[in-house]
Amino acid sequence: MRPIERDLERFKAIVRGEVKKRAREFLTREELLGQLEGRLVSIPLPQLELPKIVYGEPLEEGLGLGPGGEGLGPGGHVPVAELELEEFLDLMGEALRLPRLRPKGEGEVTQEALRHTTIARKGPRGLRHVRRTLKESLKRALLTGEYREEDPRLVPEREDLRYKAPKAKPQPHAQAVVVFALDVSGSMREEELRLVKTLAYWITAWIRRHFPRLERRYLLHDAEAWEVPEEEFFRAREGGGTRLSSALLLAEEVLKAYPEAFYNRYLYHFSDGENWPGDTEKALEALGRLLPSLALYGYAQVQPPGREGSFLYELQTLREGSEALATAELSGPESLPRALRRLLGGEG
Amino acid sequence: MNLWDWAERLRARAEEAGLSFPPVVFEEVDAEEMAMLAAYGGFPRRYPHWRWGSEYLRYRELYRYGLGRIYELVVNTEPVYAYLLKGNTPLAQKLVMAHVYAHADFFRNNLAFRPIPKDMLNEMAHHAAYVERAMERHGARAVEEFLDLALSLENLIDPHAPYIRRLEKEAPPPQGRLRVRPYLEPYVNPPPEPPREAEEGASPRPLPPRPTRDLLGFLARHAPLAPWQRALLEIVREESLYYAPQAATKVMNEGWATFWHTRLLLPLLDPEEALEFAELQAGLLAPQGFNPYRLGYLLFQEIEERWDKGRFGEEYDRLPLGERLRYERPRGEGRAKLFQVRTVYTDLGFLEEFLTPEFALRRGLIAPKDLDRFQEAKRHLLFRLTNAGYPIVWLLDANYKNRGELLLEHAYEGVGLDLRRTQAVLANLHRLWGRPVHLRTVLKGKPALLTYDGEHRLGTP
Repeated sequence: MRPIERDLERFKAIVRGEVKKRAREFLTREELLGQLEGRLVSIPLPQLELPKIVYGEPLEEGLGLGPGGEGLGPGGHVPVAELELEEFLDLMGEALRLPRLRPKGEGEVTQEALRHTTIARKGPRGLRHVRRTLKESLKRALLTGEYREEDPRLVPEREDLRYKAPKAKPQPHAQAVVVFALDVSGSMREEELRLVKTLAYWITAWIRRHFPRLERRYLLHDAEAWEVPEEEFFRAREGGGTRLSSALLLAEEVLKAYPEAFYNRYLYHFSDGENWPGDTEKALEALGRLLPSLALYGYAQVQPPGREGSFLYELQTLREGSEALATAELSGPESLPRALRRLLGGEG
Repeated sequence: MNLWDWAERLRARAEEAGLSFPPVVFEEVDAEEMAMLAAYGGFPRRYPHWRWGSEYLRYRELYRYGLGRIYELVVNTEPVYAYLLKGNTPLAQKLVMAHVYAHADFFRNNLAFRPIPKDMLNEMAHHAAYVERAMERHGARAVEEFLDLALSLENLIDPHAPYIRRLEKEAPPPQGRLRVRPYLEPYVNPPPEPPREAEEGASPRPLPPRPTRDLLGFLARHAPLAPWQRALLEIVREESLYYAPQAATKVMNEGWATFWHTRLLLPLLDPEEALEFAELQAGLLAPQGFNPYRLGYLLFQEIEERWDKGRFGEEYDRLPLGERLRYERPRGEGRAKLFQVRTVYTDLGFLEEFLTPEFALRRGLIAPKDLDRFQEAKRHLLFRLTNAGYPIVWLLDANYKNRGELLLEHAYEGVGLDLRRTQAVLANLHRLWGRPVHLRTVLKGKPALLTYDGEHRLGTP
């Protein structure tokens, strides 16, 4: 290894260590939550700076005088390292002990992947295959008698040129679908909604890490359920009563487009757990039908202070029957790591 | 004509023009090697540390996304090593080579570089070997952590240290001493009795004897450290001192190189190369932000013109601005003046002297109506270039309050320090010195004393 590679590895090791150490903090970092498509994740690293005495007006009183001293002056900028999204997710997964997701049943399809594995006579310069070109040239020289042992230099001609060419290659590839359902009846406040948003982001990111071809659908419900585009999903609003069954029935409809044989199907449901009288039975019944076809049904109960919904408790009766059932309670940012782990099928 | 023939041709032209330089070794490298060399400050080998890795990554990414490309890298050694980026067009390579010869001339002739060792290639390799050995003996982590501390002090040097030759007065031989061979000394002239307890600590000589900016050097000599830790401080200090003149002559050095590559190359261009040359030149001299290439280039042009046209001397200096712009007494001393300036100035004096309102007007850097803001803008620029843009910090006392504490002072010039970073540095310093450290400075316009004794404190001096 060249010395600079060794220095680079050391740098990366420090960055990785930093991510793992601060995983809980990254979990709720707003600026990360949008980054599902991006390739690189920016990691702010105040610890990785070699501090120096530098100018830095203006300053605020008492700034950074507390323990740790991490507060930054207005002029101070935090050094940043960048990580590939995949690597970042793996590190977060490791630090938060998130379970690896496995393709379930037959959920595999083939996909054509292009690989430059064949040789063609035409192509772009950059893909020229030097060895094959020289080989052709040598062949021709031998055939025409131009080849001389005392001066074995080869001058390839146009007809000798060979290029690497793409060839379609079937490749096994698992795909998945995730459906999010959100209960928008009265009791969800701004703060709870933010927790749900955070959770939904990490669930999506983690599933996508395992199934790059991931479809996403978003449902809202109060007494009735309807589908919305992703960007509308997290807008706070208030509705009337709650029928949890409405979401499950709509999910059942939506999922018909994603046959179990080809898709790993994930369904996540966020609610405060206060259901209309008599609806819980309907909901459990719908769930009973759905569960066997799902990779996971994750139910997260958001607990506003002073209230306690009952659906989480009702679900316990199904628990015996299926490994695909995962539940979690959400009560403040501290509950996020555990909730995330459980909702992805891990142990609490 | 291939690249190396061109190198030869440009070398001959440069020497004809009066530049003088050691042999220059050109080498073509690919973008990754260039990124590595840039991260290592121009050298093929540096001691192991993560910050090179981080720099390397940054340069590599910049290049990969087309945001920045390093055309060339020149190292101040003898011979001069110059790296050219593979894949530059032939014209770009020629331009870069002419540019490099002028840098080589600057390195050799500018006085700021005189005390700088010219065999830094070997020095850097020695440093690398030393640090690697220290890592084997004392553990990579321990050494890395110590380097982190040392590097946070790397700007706390006295950039003038290599020039200072103090004549330490030789103490007159004490009465009654006999001159003997050194190994007999302790027997024939036994050392005086050690000081009694009462005298200890009441050292009559202050430490340091006079205030110093060379904090790294002081710590290497006086901090309670293991030998390898002292050596590491010395290494960091030496490398800092090596780069100091480069930081102090950025405008001049780049201006000089740009001035000469233009001079040397223009007459040799094919007509079809003219457009590409113009494009390269426009990129280099773009008036965006503070561009040392542009400023230095224009100033050298100005100097040559002024001394050719006799725009200097007492009579000229007494003229009002408007008349200075028109003044002309052909003297033809431009060339001689250029070489003199190249030799004796660093950026601060260079700009102080030649960045004049008439220059700014003549080169269109400022509109006549903005003239009253000129002095302020100039002062601002000079401030930014002072001490490479770092605050100046003095070590006043290493036995502050007679308690072995360090007292530093920031030479406040109207701009305050970054408190968070400064405090982090004080904490590092505390780990090295082992005793509380204090820094006098000014915070929000009021005198302040920053202290670290295991905790950060903020007091008044």
